[in-house]
Amino acid sequence: MSTRGRLRALGYLPRYLVLIPFAGLFAFPFYWMLVISLGTLQSVFVFPPILYPLWHWDNYLAAVGVITDPSTGQYLHIPWLRYFLNTVVVATGTTALVLITSVLGGYAFASMAFPGKKLIFGLVLAVYMVPTEVTLVPNFIILANLHWIDSYQAQIVPFGASVFGIFLMRQFFLGLPNDLWEAAQLDGTGHFRFLWLIAAPLARPPMVTIGLFTFVAAWNAFLWPLIVTNSDSYRPVQVGLQAFSYADATNPVLHAAGSLIVTLPILIIFLVAQRQIVGGIAASGIRG
Amino acid sequence: MATQRSAELPRRARTIRADRRRRDRADALSGYLLISPAMALLIVFILIPALWIFWLSFQRWDLISGTSDYIGTANFERLLLRDDVFRKAVWQTVYFVAGTVPVSMALGLLLAVLLNRAMPLRDFLRTVIFTPYVMPIVSTALIFSFIYHPDVGVLNAAFSALGLPKIDWLDSPQAIMPAIILYSIWQHTGYNTVIFLAGLSNLPPELDEAARVDGARAWTRFWEVTWPLLSPTTYFVLLINVVASFKVVQPILIFAGGVGGATSGGGGPDKAAETIGYYLYVQAFSFFHAGYAAAISVVLFLIILAITALQVGVFSRRVFYR
Repeated sequence: MSTRGRLRALGYLPRYLVLIPFAGLFAFPFYWMLVISLGTLQSVFVFPPILYPLWHWDNYLAAVGVITDPSTGQYLHIPWLRYFLNTVVVATGTTALVLITSVLGGYAFASMAFPGKKLIFGLVLAVYMVPTEVTLVPNFIILANLHWIDSYQAQIVPFGASVFGIFLMRQFFLGLPNDLWEAAQLDGTGHFRFLWLIAAPLARPPMVTIGLFTFVAAWNAFLWPLIVTNSDSYRPVQVGLQAFSYADATNPVLHAAGSLIVTLPILIIFLVAQRQIVGGIAASGIRG
Repeated sequence: MATQRSAELPRRARTIRADRRRRDRADALSGYLLISPAMALLIVFILIPALWIFWLSFQRWDLISGTSDYIGTANFERLLLRDDVFRKAVWQTVYFVAGTVPVSMALGLLLAVLLNRAMPLRDFLRTVIFTPYVMPIVSTALIFSFIYHPDVGVLNAAFSALGLPKIDWLDSPQAIMPAIILYSIWQHTGYNTVIFLAGLSNLPPELDEAARVDGARAWTRFWEVTWPLLSPTTYFVLLINVVASFKVVQPILIFAGGVGGATSGGGGPDKAAETIGYYLYVQAFSFFHAGYAAAISVVLFLIILAITALQVGVFSRRVFYR
């Protein structure tokens, strides 16, 4: 093995010579986030920059308001917990709603016969062509008329149905062996019971993919919550972070600490579930 | 006997047929019931808004007071003929697309080709390259604004180490768009890499193997075998990339929104980072000109539909199919 193995490793060398520097460039901003968040107000304003972390973990305590901000000597009052709670409510609610609408819709489009099915499914696919940016204004007017501005439902309900989700579930249900349905019919089982007891439990893999996508997208949502929230009671972390970085321009160290706090949960979810996320993107080309 | 049966048959057939019809109707009803939650949401929050912008664009509509009146094509006349900011936004959008898409696609393809082989660290490298795409845009853009800091930013440190002049990245009209483009390339390349990797792994390995046996070099094999076979993936990635960058809003909002966005409209120094999507956002939610913003939405929508139609048209004629 040794000579051949070494030869093969040598054959990979040119690839690594390109890949590793690029990977370094892609990872650098995250490293830099860490370095700045662990620096001091003086250390981050040194030129040339100090390229290694100084391990001032107390910055994180200052960013969450447990100790005073060293630059001003005052406590920061940023309701991070509230922001996180809001984001968790919105992301969980959106994910649950998308899963329900996708499973029900996907099953009906795959396994049930009703007049106009093709036409309606074509309509669903056509909806996929509409960029969300284009519908910002009318959607705002609709929510304003529903008196939903500054609420959770304003951030959940408009994203409660996903063409990607319906499509993925339909593909899955189309692939289920027909014997299952026939056997269930012999037992006198109808569509609803069949879906609830047999088809949906089998559909866990696509549901995990859809759930992860929706959760990550809802966690990262910025533009829409910025438009439809105007109080800390409903602001998600992304909007809270942006407000913090605008309102308090004195201490970039704490902004970096805040960025890291906001990024960390989604980084952990991504690292744990990267196989499903990357695989799902590769299979469908969906944009998260 | 015989007459009795023949009299009974049609009757039984009728009841069976009636039974089936009743069951079909029940089936159809439950079908509609199952699709109704999804359809209601898609119709109310996507389909109706997408059609409504066409009507809204003929109104003068104040988003705060909710007052409106019909003004015909005045919004479009102003937008297309007299609005210098919009004209600038169109060109800056084209600049952004032209700067982001080719680099991000070429880089994505290069990295995918290099990663398309079982080797140590492969999954790790792919994860690192893909991570920026999944991370929240607010925090990554915030970090880039530190990197772009004119005095103490690490990018200018690298520039001066190379003997290049320091650049005021986010405060100069020449540099702000390249800075946002660089960020978007960093943010989006991992997505392209993953899609290209999926496309590459679907190619039949025999062709590449045959070319290798014939003694073709790696470079030739890529251009003569892989590249033509990969063209469906390439067109797909091109379409997704062009459409996504054409409607860019969020990076502009974070890098060039400015604290005074509500009064100045933001868009960076000399509006050098103004894009169509960002201008739409500002008109609607900083100036509350809903009708005017709807007119911008209509133009953006039509441009995106045209790009899609054009690329799908080219796609169906030019792509190599196996």
